[in-house]
Amino acid sequence: MNSVNDRSRDIGPFVPAPDDDMLICRCEEITKGEIRQAVHDGMWTITEIRRYLRAGMGLCQGQTCSRLVKGIVARELGVSPAEIEPATSRVPMRPIQMRVFANEAKED
Amino acid sequence: MKSNAEVIVIGGGIIGNAAAYYLVKRGLSVIVLEGSDFIGNGGSSRNGGGVRQSGRDVRELPLVMYGIKNLWPTLSQELETDCEYHQDGNLRLGKNEKHKEILTKLATNAQSCGLDVRMIDAKEVKSINPYLSDEVTCASWCPTDGHANPLTTTLGYYKMARRLGVRFISGERVKELRMVKGRVRKVICESGDVFEGENILVAAGYDSRAILGTVGVDIPMTRSLLECLVTEAEPHMFDQMLGTAEADFYGHQTKHGSFVFGGSSGFEACNKDNGTPISSSKTAPCICRGIMKYFPDLADAKIVRTWAGWSDKCADGVAVVGAIDEVPGLYTSCAMSGHGFGIGPAAGHQLAQLIATGTTDVDLSTLRYDRFKAKI
Amino acid sequence: MKRYDLIIVGAGPSGLSAAIEAAKRGLEVVVFDENEKPGGQLFKQIHKFFGSKEHRAKTRGFVIGKQLLDEAAAAGVIVVLNATVIGLYQDKEVVVKIKDNIRHYKADAVVIATGAAENMVTFKGWTLPGVIGAGAAQTLMNLHGVLPGKKVLMLGSGNVGLVVSFQLLQCGCEVVALVDAAPRVGGYGVHAAKVARTGVPFYLSHTIVEAEGDEWVTGVTIAQIDDKFNFIEGTEKHFDVDTICLAVGLSPMSQLLKMAGAKMEDNPKKGGQVPVCDEYGRTSIPGVFVAGDVSGIEEASSAMIEGRMAGVVAAEYLGFIDTESMDTELKEMEKALDGLRQGMFAPKNRGKSIDKTEEGIDISVNLLKRGFVADDEIERYPGVTHKKGVHPVIECTQNIPCNPCQDACPKKCISIGSNITSLPIVVKDSECINCGMCVASCSGQAIFLVDEDCGDGTATVTLPYEFLPLPKEGEKGIALGRDGNEVCKAEVVSVKSAKAFDKTNLLTMRVPKEYAMKARFFKVSK
Repeated sequence: MNSVNDRSRDIGPFVPAPDDDMLICRCEEITKGEIRQAVHDGMWTITEIRRYLRAGMGLCQGQTCSRLVKGIVARELGVSPAEIEPATSRVPMRPIQMRVFANEAKED
Repeated sequence: MKSNAEVIVIGGGIIGNAAAYYLVKRGLSVIVLEGSDFIGNGGSSRNGGGVRQSGRDVRELPLVMYGIKNLWPTLSQELETDCEYHQDGNLRLGKNEKHKEILTKLATNAQSCGLDVRMIDAKEVKSINPYLSDEVTCASWCPTDGHANPLTTTLGYYKMARRLGVRFISGERVKELRMVKGRVRKVICESGDVFEGENILVAAGYDSRAILGTVGVDIPMTRSLLECLVTEAEPHMFDQMLGTAEADFYGHQTKHGSFVFGGSSGFEACNKDNGTPISSSKTAPCICRGIMKYFPDLADAKIVRTWAGWSDKCADGVAVVGAIDEVPGLYTSCAMSGHGFGIGPAAGHQLAQLIATGTTDVDLSTLRYDRFKAKI
Repeated sequence: MKRYDLIIVGAGPSGLSAAIEAAKRGLEVVVFDENEKPGGQLFKQIHKFFGSKEHRAKTRGFVIGKQLLDEAAAAGVIVVLNATVIGLYQDKEVVVKIKDNIRHYKADAVVIATGAAENMVTFKGWTLPGVIGAGAAQTLMNLHGVLPGKKVLMLGSGNVGLVVSFQLLQCGCEVVALVDAAPRVGGYGVHAAKVARTGVPFYLSHTIVEAEGDEWVTGVTIAQIDDKFNFIEGTEKHFDVDTICLAVGLSPMSQLLKMAGAKMEDNPKKGGQVPVCDEYGRTSIPGVFVAGDVSGIEEASSAMIEGRMAGVVAAEYLGFIDTESMDTELKEMEKALDGLRQGMFAPKNRGKSIDKTEEGIDISVNLLKRGFVADDEIERYPGVTHKKGVHPVIECTQNIPCNPCQDACPKKCISIGSNITSLPIVVKDSECINCGMCVASCSGQAIFLVDEDCGDGTATVTLPYEFLPLPKEGEKGIALGRDGNEVCKAEVVSVKSAKAFDKTNLLTMRVPKEYAMKARFFKVSK
């Protein structure tokens, strides 16, 4: 069992930090403190952080913040960032208007 | 670390997490085993967030109604998580006579169970939701329906259950259940880990079929791809849950402003599985066309993400919830047929009560595992 | 559904290279790129590339971009621009947004060459307008002709930070400081030296405390950090700036591969999440290949070779060439790639602290800490010699894979030998004719022609000069030392701009002879 899977492992208490109000996910305006608190609420994977907070789920889909979020989660869990599985990538790679997505070109 | 508990829950989705939460609140020790690396990774995070009674099979209605009456209204407070529950009604939309027929039949069935659902005309639809296309001619309207955020609700149950001492293990895929002296007891995992529980609750979506099969129980189900999409945040438009007579799409606007929609292209039952819940290239464009037919104003909304996953479809389209009498100690809630999120809290709640006390508030007999009979 | 032999995503150096090699072997190839201009980062690269001839060394990046596009067109590659690949689905189905449509295409093979995106770091005020990526600054300047700001602080001393700092100076911006949390300059010493000698101060073991400003950046405070990355109190320095550039690394844009279900790994040495692949770019999905930064951060020269490899491997996968000829071609390419991956900055040496050159000479401490080789250090390198009359002074002090200088001299005054990373030496008894080809050929702008004693108490120093407006003959100014400090008065003797110099102007200045080995930059007096 890896260190992220046993969700009862003691990671210590949440200790407020002076930079907790710093924005990390700019698209969804999620702060470092919110991310750290979410880890203490049991959100130990980037996928769960995304679902719980929306961090990395905005227009850029985490292009800017996923690396930062990963670092924060890893630090809170006391593991190396490489142990944190990155979030899944999904279609569309770039935001796309509904009318364009709906508009499938005829065979060319 | 202890691998014994009074209850082993297999599946860390909304039902497993809710059951774990209500069980630990009743003082039972619980271990939850989640097969994937992520909590809430099955249908719980791949649905449109409907908390509906209308459109349901009458056999499911008592359980859904129980949840909407007793659990959903106070869930955000109870879970200390914003579940974004809105009880602002459900509009099921129609554009022609055929649609009207479908909707009327569903409404009549639900009325017979005491549900406040009725047919409304184009004018009334427009007064409820002015953003709809003029092509909408009728709808069924159930004012007590609503929607919530499936992601935060599922993770909220997890958070609180974990806080109260439930042990959660992710990445722990169950291989088989084993009987000990006439009672199901052991849970053997692919990792080699073995857990023991006095009771075992299987709430593992489609995987439940294989897991239950290891103790000789089969629930007839197939799987079907559920696909969702979400837009960027838009100005607030409406709070109702939406659906259509032909199920082209369903969804709502979230508190955040984004629109979350689910839908289908018609190939859901035979989508190919390459091991990752990949979306189909046909579906999202189809959902978009469906939405735009009803909401022309959304044509310029940008879609930022689509996602998909497998749902467990029961042979008769109705969930299986309750004790498996022939295997003492075994319980299940599976084959949810795409209705698992709205029903989830009630199913978890009633199963916890059943496991702890042997009784339920809601009569679950219509959802029994052994109800399936040949057609002739 | 339209089916191609090969669909390539990304028309950067690796994607185009893959397309050229595949199309040359008979594959029907289409390249989709979301940008309105092809070439990826190449058209932003206005500096001359390193390497040897086969790596297109001493050619400017944007010229390489044009060459690749010409070659691609000649080979019959279709390049579709403003075409955003929004998804890579099962069965190698590629869905592309083109104008107001989405289009579905199938391919028998796919090369993903989507490159990388810039990393960000957080500090108080990092979301203020005016904090931008160094690559973004480069895009503004070199693609759109827009000045990113007037006074800029650069965070990051890797090659990107160094090259972009120089380009900011070329655009007329003031670069107030080059800052890096690391204790040593990360990029090529020659890139650092050409920035430092213009007067930009380097602050290693420093990072940003705060970006100041209410609505946009108006200033920045940096401070020194200890080895645990904690700020050392009392070391704060403030600068008035309107722009803060971040050059803190790149992350592979590998999302399409993850989406398609390719096996991925998190590899810090490769810059983040990359597909698991073999040395030729074969991923875990048969027929899906990768090349360039998406499979691990390197630079454009190696990306081009990786792209060519992927193109050849795809050709073999689809039966356009046999395995034997693929192996032969790959061997050649591997040799070229291996050549680039040598020297102190080779991927295998990443994170290692190297203190001596291959020749056993101590690396300049000042170069690593302050961006320039100090006057008392420069004499130890083999390119720095003294003789009567005009002669080359080669201030190349680190082993990097680069050798255009030895071919540039028509008199064979400069030699590197067969080992491409060796430091260049001045050939004994060779005769310099003051043609300047070596000065213009050095991508690192590290070669000077010096006449240490003109007989009248003065010396002349010819240096590479890539700033506008060009000073005029007879113009008076200040000579700056390697450290960017003023050393003496100087007068422009000549400014030569031959076509063969490829836009590197050769500025010859006259200085008092005692400054012949100290004066290395000319600053116009204001």
